[in-house]
Amino acid sequence: MRPANDPKNKPPSIRRRLFALLLIPTAAIAGAATYGAYRTALAPFEAAYDKALLDAALAIASNIEARDASGPTLSLTPDAVSVLRSDSLDTIYYRVSGDDGHFIAGDRDLPVPHQGVENPEFDDLTFGREPIRVVSYRVSSAHGGSIVTVAETRHKRDHARASVLRSSLAVDAAQLATALIVIWLGVEFAIEPLRNVERQLSARGSRDLEPLTTDGVPVEIRSLIDALNRLFGALQEAEIAERSFLDNAAHQLRTPLAGMLAHLELMAAGGAAIDGAQAQAALEGARRLARTAHQLLALARSDAASRSESLQEEISLPEVIKVCVEARLASADACGIDLGADFESAVTRGSAWMLEEALGNLTDNAIAATATGGSVTLRCGMTGGCAWFEVGDTGVGIPAAERAQVFERFYRASNARAAGSGLGLAIVREVARLHRAALTVEDGVDGRGTRVRMTFPEPAT
Amino acid sequence: MRVLIVEDEALIADGVRQGLVKAAFAADVVSSADAARAALQAENFDLAVVDIGLPREDGLQLLRSLRLRRHALPVLMLTARDGLNDRVTALDLGADDYLTKPFHIAELVARCRALIRRANSRSSSTLEFGALKLEIARKQACAFELPLDLTLREWSILECLVLNAGRIVGKSRLMSAVSDWSDELSPNAIEVYVSRLRAKLGDAACIRTVRGLGYRIDAPGK
Repeated sequence: MRPANDPKNKPPSIRRRLFALLLIPTAAIAGAATYGAYRTALAPFEAAYDKALLDAALAIASNIEARDASGPTLSLTPDAVSVLRSDSLDTIYYRVSGDDGHFIAGDRDLPVPHQGVENPEFDDLTFGREPIRVVSYRVSSAHGGSIVTVAETRHKRDHARASVLRSSLAVDAAQLATALIVIWLGVEFAIEPLRNVERQLSARGSRDLEPLTTDGVPVEIRSLIDALNRLFGALQEAEIAERSFLDNAAHQLRTPLAGMLAHLELMAAGGAAIDGAQAQAALEGARRLARTAHQLLALARSDAASRSESLQEEISLPEVIKVCVEARLASADACGIDLGADFESAVTRGSAWMLEEALGNLTDNAIAATATGGSVTLRCGMTGGCAWFEVGDTGVGIPAAERAQVFERFYRASNARAAGSGLGLAIVREVARLHRAALTVEDGVDGRGTRVRMTFPEPAT
Repeated sequence: MRVLIVEDEALIADGVRQGLVKAAFAADVVSSADAARAALQAENFDLAVVDIGLPREDGLQLLRSLRLRRHALPVLMLTARDGLNDRVTALDLGADDYLTKPFHIAELVARCRALIRRANSRSSSTLEFGALKLEIARKQACAFELPLDLTLREWSILECLVLNAGRIVGKSRLMSAVSDWSDELSPNAIEVYVSRLRAKLGDAACIRTVRGLGYRIDAPGK
């Protein structure tokens, strides 16, 4: 059996839900209404039939004679009896008995209702397997009392009952049916705006991320449209970002490649004699290319890592600082910059290679931004339970207005000194994001240069 | 000192070979794990530089087979992959060091030197570093072939720095190298010993201070 046909796997339906929701209370109310109407309509019928039955009993009672001490007798002609018993639908029974219960006249076996305080006394009994309505009327005279009992089968009562029930059920069924038809059509009508949205969406191409129109959209699905539009907006933004990233990456990779090729071609054409300056320029290009490739890969890797790595290694920040300083002493020396550290013990959780990458990029930037004779200092510590590290330099500083932008990919500060890819700080931002760390850019110590600090969240206990 | 380069990329193999030859190493190039095993069987090498990404049998497998045969040759692994796992696996399998492509030739040469020096310190009684020669058994150091007059603590600091040449050695590490059980040294005392040592070494070697982290010994002129 295909899953679509499996009743257990039916997709949810608004219509079915509305039906289920409305059917039960509607049916309950209709049932109660029917019952009430039925009871109300039935009472006068029952009263009228009971009255007729009592009339018959009274007529019999008026024919009871009690002339002597032998007890009451019934003087009723056969004609009168047949008139009494005549009925188109029901059989009529009667019985006259003495007040001690002894049989005087009529149907000997007819059951007599229990004699309570009421006179007449009505009751529902059975006679010869048939349900009957019975009335007893007590007559008293000087020569002893008597009880007149008249009974009839329930055929005409049942007929009346059935016809009352039929008519009230018919009305209620019509009401219920109307409600269900209205729901059925109403759902169709109510979800028409959704169909509109569906038509709009299926008409567009996969690249079309323009927002959906909200004109004439009912308030109930307005939030759905808004959510869709927000998603479209985010996708569009991501697409624009991706395109500009590709543009920038292409530029960052091609520029040093072009320079290298030019110099290498000149060198190849020059034969055996190698121009030192050209070799140096080609080398510079290759280094830049290597660095950019490394950074692009680091970004891609942190992207992938955000989905797979748990970032739960325990990391000693002084160790990270030591690795970073060790790897950059040569380049700091070459620039005549005093690279050093100043740390207290600090431990956080995360990914060691990412933090090394982030701190390394901050350090490279600091070295590039600092003039000969300046210093770059890597620090770390704990403040209020939160581990942090920072890189401070005595360089040119970042203009306050640009501090928010420096972490964008390929952004380069207006007063940047050295050629850079503009990827370094984007990597730092990505690493901070993955570690839920806060990045702050401040003036350096004594107001000179820049301090970039990454503060990690307090570890969950 | 003789280095075996196991690398199938001719451009890189040749660059590495030239760099090492220029730094006064003897270097041979092979391009597969089988050829590497044959070469190691036939001749003596002081160090192997092995690329992880070799065709057929990769560098990690070669390393494993060497260590299984208890071959103690120092091995420096090269890779273009930057997955952290490669690095961890390589070091677990007994690689002595690890470099990611692209690398600076100067860096490679420095690491090769350090590996060979470390291997020698285990087997031989003298350590050489530039113009310095340390005779370990006698705890005697010479600069430019002239004996230096070092106290025991100065000797210990110099030995520790030379054994870790090119790397930053923290003050705490120097403290544990210097102190015996009987006395505790303050970090300031280390500074005093280092400055005395500097004066005695003169031009033979340069002990530079890495602010906040410790000391590093460099050959002069670097």
